[in-house]
Amino acid sequence: MAFNILIVDDSPAMRRVLRRVVDISGMDVGTLLEAGNGREALALLHTEWVDLIMTDINMPDMDGEQLLLEVRKDPMLATVPVLVVSTDRSEARTKQMMTLGANGYLSKPFLPSALSREIYKLLGGGPNERF
Amino acid sequence: MRDFEFAGLIPECCSEVLDAMYFTTVLETGPQKTGPEGAPSIDALVAFSLRFVGDLSGRFGIFLELATARKLAANFLGEEESGISSVEAGEVAGELANMFCGSVMSRVEGEHKFVLSHPEGASVPSSDLGGDFLWRLATDSGDITVWMTIEEDLCRP
Repeated sequence: MAFNILIVDDSPAMRRVLRRVVDISGMDVGTLLEAGNGREALALLHTEWVDLIMTDINMPDMDGEQLLLEVRKDPMLATVPVLVVSTDRSEARTKQMMTLGANGYLSKPFLPSALSREIYKLLGGGPNERF
Repeated sequence: MRDFEFAGLIPECCSEVLDAMYFTTVLETGPQKTGPEGAPSIDALVAFSLRFVGDLSGRFGIFLELATARKLAANFLGEEESGISSVEAGEVAGELANMFCGSVMSRVEGEHKFVLSHPEGASVPSSDLGGDFLWRLATDSGDITVWMTIEEDLCRP
């Protein structure tokens, strides 16, 4: 079964890199969606089925922390795995995002193999069953 | 953090980013010379900067020649250099500034959170050629100059 993945990052270049890594990961991917900030991501999440959200933290309009809070309090989205991909490697930020409900945290810079591992770890058990 | 600590930290963090995601090796690093002899040519320069806010706040930026930005973009995106547009080179340079700054601030702040603004393109005004720290990274993709200005350095227990 193919997985749908949402990439949320304000950098078009980073979205392209994330998309490329997903493409070459060997994962059976259905649709790869992109959003430039949390607000755009939420709008997509209300119309599209997604099995994994990969999000940056520092973004204009709505950041990754707020996006995570919105996702976790929405009964329709609450169980969607969220992988944070951020330049912020501080222990405080990592702990905070995991406490708020992130399922994984990968800091930039990362090796493509590390991102693939995280994706497989979060999706390995099969597509997200929300209902 | 004292000057000599940044002097070691900035090239170390930048080298790590370039190696992991831009497949670029830093060949030599050192303080950027200023003045007519040491200042880089401002022709065809790509420049980005962003603000960082935490226990330590200030501004962080990079500038590099367009040809270098194209090489880095090709490596980063995994595409042919000839197919990289100026816009794409700029986007990748902006992300490079973001990752450089994030890497340095993660080490500086340690257990403290910080916030980075969105990288903004700059026209390499003369003020951007200054800063508390001005560092040159000679890489196999070309030279990159990194600068950092600190607004405040609150003492932590």
